[in-house]
Order: sequence, then structure tokens, then C-alpha cells
Amino acid sequence: MKQVFSPLKIILSLLLFLFIGIPFIALLLSSVATGWQWPVLFPESYSFRAWEYVLFGSSRTWQSIGTSLLIAVIVTVINVLLAVPAANALVRFQFKGKWFAEAILFAPIIIPPFVAVMGIHLTFLRLGLTETILGVVLAHLSPTLPYMVRAVMISYNTLSVDWENQARMLGAGPFLRFYYVVLPHLLPGIAAGASLSILISLSQYLITFIIGSGQVVTLPILLFPFISGGDPAVASAYSLLFAGMAILALLAMDAVLKKYYQTKNPSVLKVKGVKR
Amino acid sequence: MNGLRIEQIEKKYMTAETGQKESFALEPIDLAIHEGEFVSLLGPSGCGKTTLLKLTAGLLQPDAGKIRFGNIDITLIPPESRRFSMVFQEPLLFPHMTIGDNVSFGLKMQKVAKKERQFEATRMLEMVGLAGYEGRFPEELSGGQQQRAALARALVAKPRVLLMDEPFSALDPGLREDMRELLSGIQRELEVTVLFVTHDREEAFEISDRIGIMSDGRLLQVGTPTELYEQPASTKVASFLGLKNIIKGNIRAGHFASEDSGIEFHTGKPIIDGKHFLILRPEVLRPITSSSKPQNDSVHLKGKVSKLKFKQGSYIAQILAGNQQLECTLSREEAEELEPAQAIELYVNQTDLQFVEH
Repeated sequence: MKQVFSPLKIILSLLLFLFIGIPFIALLLSSVATGWQWPVLFPESYSFRAWEYVLFGSSRTWQSIGTSLLIAVIVTVINVLLAVPAANALVRFQFKGKWFAEAILFAPIIIPPFVAVMGIHLTFLRLGLTETILGVVLAHLSPTLPYMVRAVMISYNTLSVDWENQARMLGAGPFLRFYYVVLPHLLPGIAAGASLSILISLSQYLITFIIGSGQVVTLPILLFPFISGGDPAVASAYSLLFAGMAILALLAMDAVLKKYYQTKNPSVLKVKGVKR
Repeated sequence: MNGLRIEQIEKKYMTAETGQKESFALEPIDLAIHEGEFVSLLGPSGCGKTTLLKLTAGLLQPDAGKIRFGNIDITLIPPESRRFSMVFQEPLLFPHMTIGDNVSFGLKMQKVAKKERQFEATRMLEMVGLAGYEGRFPEELSGGQQQRAALARALVAKPRVLLMDEPFSALDPGLREDMRELLSGIQRELEVTVLFVTHDREEAFEISDRIGIMSDGRLLQVGTPTELYEQPASTKVASFLGLKNIIKGNIRAGHFASEDSGIEFHTGKPIIDGKHFLILRPEVLRPITSSSKPQNDSVHLKGKVSKLKFKQGSYIAQILAGNQQLECTLSREEAEELEPAQAIELYVNQTDLQFVEH
């Protein structure tokens, strides 16, 4: 295929670069600058002090990345386990109070997390769940679950019951039906929901801060104090680290999914879209 | 011995989904299908034929009644354990599996070893004319090929009964005929018991050993194609089978008179007095010509040709007899002697007269 360079394409690519690339450049510069003040365009002197502090100075950085990823992965796994049956029920069945169940499930998208977290905090205090990873994981479920349910519901909407009936008529029991017919169909939706769930969990500050009470240290917990007044160089370094962690987490998930698809269905990569 | 028996099956539907209380009821239905028999359920859409099929499959639970296979009551056995098989209107091949994996899916569920699965799948694909397609994916196949693969998948596990829900209705007419022939051949070779649902008269008549005519949740008549055609039990069956000349009338003392008195004759055979419909199949109405020799007791009708239609090899003449429009099939030679508006005399042999009670 010939690459066509139209003026519009160039302008759009340039805009994209400006919006996404420039902030990174600024971050990168700010992380290695010493005393970068207005009105100079570029910093006058450079040092790797911030990076040294972030990467080697405190062992907490690596620990916090580990904690962040651990929480995000557990949250996402729980989300999948909760969202699949929930989406199945919401799409396939008519029951009393369905609108109410849906409203509760999707409320965290609209209601600020702080409102809910205050109540959750009180309850968790009584249950002894504060300052624990388990408590933070549970608290992270509320802002992430709605997106997962939403994504899986869309997948369920496009899955006609006929497919399961067909598998049934070929002798497949409930578990085999789910494994061979339903799950492969849901996978794109689960992947979309999982990306959102991982990203949202990784970037939680407030909920982690309140429920974890400073004892559960994720990367945002380390990052925030530096942003809100401390050292801009260290804050920049942490921010870049955070972006890197999020991107790597998504790439890793993508690679796992692609591998699954390649073993299960090489044609998905070749032919997009499933004809029905 | 291993026939399928449907006994007094009933099912009521309430579609409260749309808010309307539109209900549909399948009235108690009895139907026995022998081993290796090909039975079709024929009826207009919404007559309950698919519901009856799904009840047989176990995908729906009946409100009352029993389904037996051989001597075993299987009403409460879930569909996955019945060892029945079903082909739907859509091929429903699993898109993430190859054709080979799709076809052997039923055997995999029965925990058959992989080598044997592959062997059986290959054999079955050859049978439906898809040899060498094992490695392809469903989306690489045409609609007809997909339905063939679906048929192979349904047959590979040697089902006790093969259920088919209008499997060819989504295909082109030419392809549909090929598929019918293929199915007929395979069914006879493997001696599978088949329950086939269709709204296509021609299809049902071509491939079935027996046909059940359904309408409004009731099974009106079951019989071989010839039985149904020559002795329809009611006018509903007759009109659904496309029989055109249905004449309302009375029989009194062996004498039939149509309601408008345009057609009158002695029935010849003893029939109970009362209101009857006379059914004259288009091909039993014969024109009286110099060469034709009507039997002595045959019934004669006089009329006028109102229209002649050419229909692949034969002609259909519309004839006005009294106030009745009759349709009659003519050969080319017979039709060439006729012109529109010409007077014509027809005869019907006594044995071809069919009466259906009101």
C-alpha cells in the first residue's frame, strides 16, 4: 500500500504530537532541571538528582509500583468475576427492580468517589480493613466495576442465545458452553473493561489515601505530595514513571490477549469482524 | 422401537416483555415418529411449529405432556443429555473454531479421543461435499457451505433424532434444492430420524415421509404427502396445501349443490347429508375433447375460459363455471385449442371428487 501524505493528515499528526508529546517533553526537562524559572525557555543547568532520588534514593518507589500493579491486577480479576454474571443477568433476564440494580451499579460513574469513600471508610474501620491491601482493593472496585460491567454488557448484547442453544444441542453442559462459546465472544469486551479497570485503579489517589491511611503506598500516594508543593523535579520524574508503568501494564495485557487469540483463533488477526 | 413420541404436549406463552399480554398457546399435540423416518412440520409462521421443535429438543419445557424416546420418558432430561441434534436457520458455526473443530465439537463433548474425532469429522465433511475444508474458518465459507458444515456437525455424533428448524430458508432457491437433495440422500444413507420444520410446501413435499400440517398452535393433520394432497381433512389443510378449487355446498340425498347453485351433480357414493366443501384438484378437471373419453358416471361442468397462464411446461386455465372461478391444469395440446372467453366443458371422474365436511 502506498502511503499518502495529505496536508490534513500532516496537520492532524502534528496536533496529536503537540497535545501528547509536548507535555512529556516538558516533564522530561523539568525532571532533570535545577532551578528552571520564568522567563527562560530551557533550563540553564541540568542534574539527575531527582531521578537518582526516585530510582535509587528510596526503595519505596519500586515497592509502590509493585503494590500499585498488584492492587490493579487483583481489582481487575475480581471485576471480571463480578461483571460477567452481572452483565449476563442485566442483558438476558427481566426481573423486578432491574432499573434499581443498574442504577446502583452505574452510580459510581456519576457520584464523586469521595462521597462513597467516607461511608466505606467508617465501615472498614469497624471491620479492620483499613490500612490493608484487601481494603484498598475492595474500595477500588466501586469506581472500576461500572466500566467493566458496561463493556461486558455490550458483548453480551451481541451474543444471541442461539449460539448457546446450538452448543447445548451438541451436548455441551453449562460450564463447557461458557468456556467454548460464551467466553470467546465476551473476550473483546472483557479486554476493553480490563484496560479501563487497570488504568482507573492505578490512578486512584483519594480512595487509596483514605482507606490505606498512608500504610498502603501506591505510586500516586508517593507522587501527590511532590506535586502539591514539594519538589517539581521529583514530581516530574514520578509522573513519567507513572505513565511508563501504566503504558507497560496495558502493553503486557495486550500481549497476553494477542497470544491467547493466536492460539485460539489465528484468523482474528487476519480477518477482522465476525460475520454472522 | 426407538421412535420419538410426543404425547399431549402443551405450551402457553405470555409475552409480557412488550407490556402487551399477547399470548400464544400450543394445544395438546400428539405425534409419533418412527426410527429412521423423515417427518416435516409444515405451517405458516407463528403457527407454533418451531415451539414444538424446541419442546422436542428440550430447549423449552412443556406445561403439560410427555416426550418419549423409545420407552423412556425424556421430558425432564436437559437437551445436552438427550443426544438429539439440531440445525438452526442460521449455520451458527462457532467463529473462533476451524470447520474441523466445529464439526467434531459434538464428539469432543462426548469425550471422544482426538484422532477419532478428526477421522469422523473428515468423513462427515466428505459426505456433505466439503472435503478438505477442515482447516478453514467459518467466515471463509459461503452461506451454503456454512449450512453444509452445520449439517455435518449435527450428524457427526450420530444423534438419535435430528431436529431442523427451517435450515434452508436463508439460502438462494437453487442452493435450497441442492441442499434438499443432499439432506435426503444423507438421511437415507445414515437412517437418521428427522423432525424438520418448514413453511415451504414444496420443500416439505419433496423430502418428507410424512408431513404434519400446523396452524394456530394445532396439529391439523398428519399423513404422507399423497394422503394429504388427495384426502385433506379440512379446508384449512387444503388451502394451505395450495389446493385452489374449494367449493362450498350442500349434500342432500346423494346430491351435491354448490351454494350459488352453479354446480350440481349426483355424488354417486353415499355421503352423510349436510354442508360440505367440494375440493377439485386442478389436474382432475379435464376438458372434454374429441379424443378424451369420460367415464359414464363422471361429473360434467360447463364454463367459460377467463384466462390462460403458461407455467413451465403446462398451462393453467381459469374457468368460470356458474359463479365459481375454477383452476385447471392443461397440457400444451389441450391449451392450444382454447382461447379466452371460449366456452368449455369439463369432466371429473367420480373417484377424484373430494368432499370435506364443514
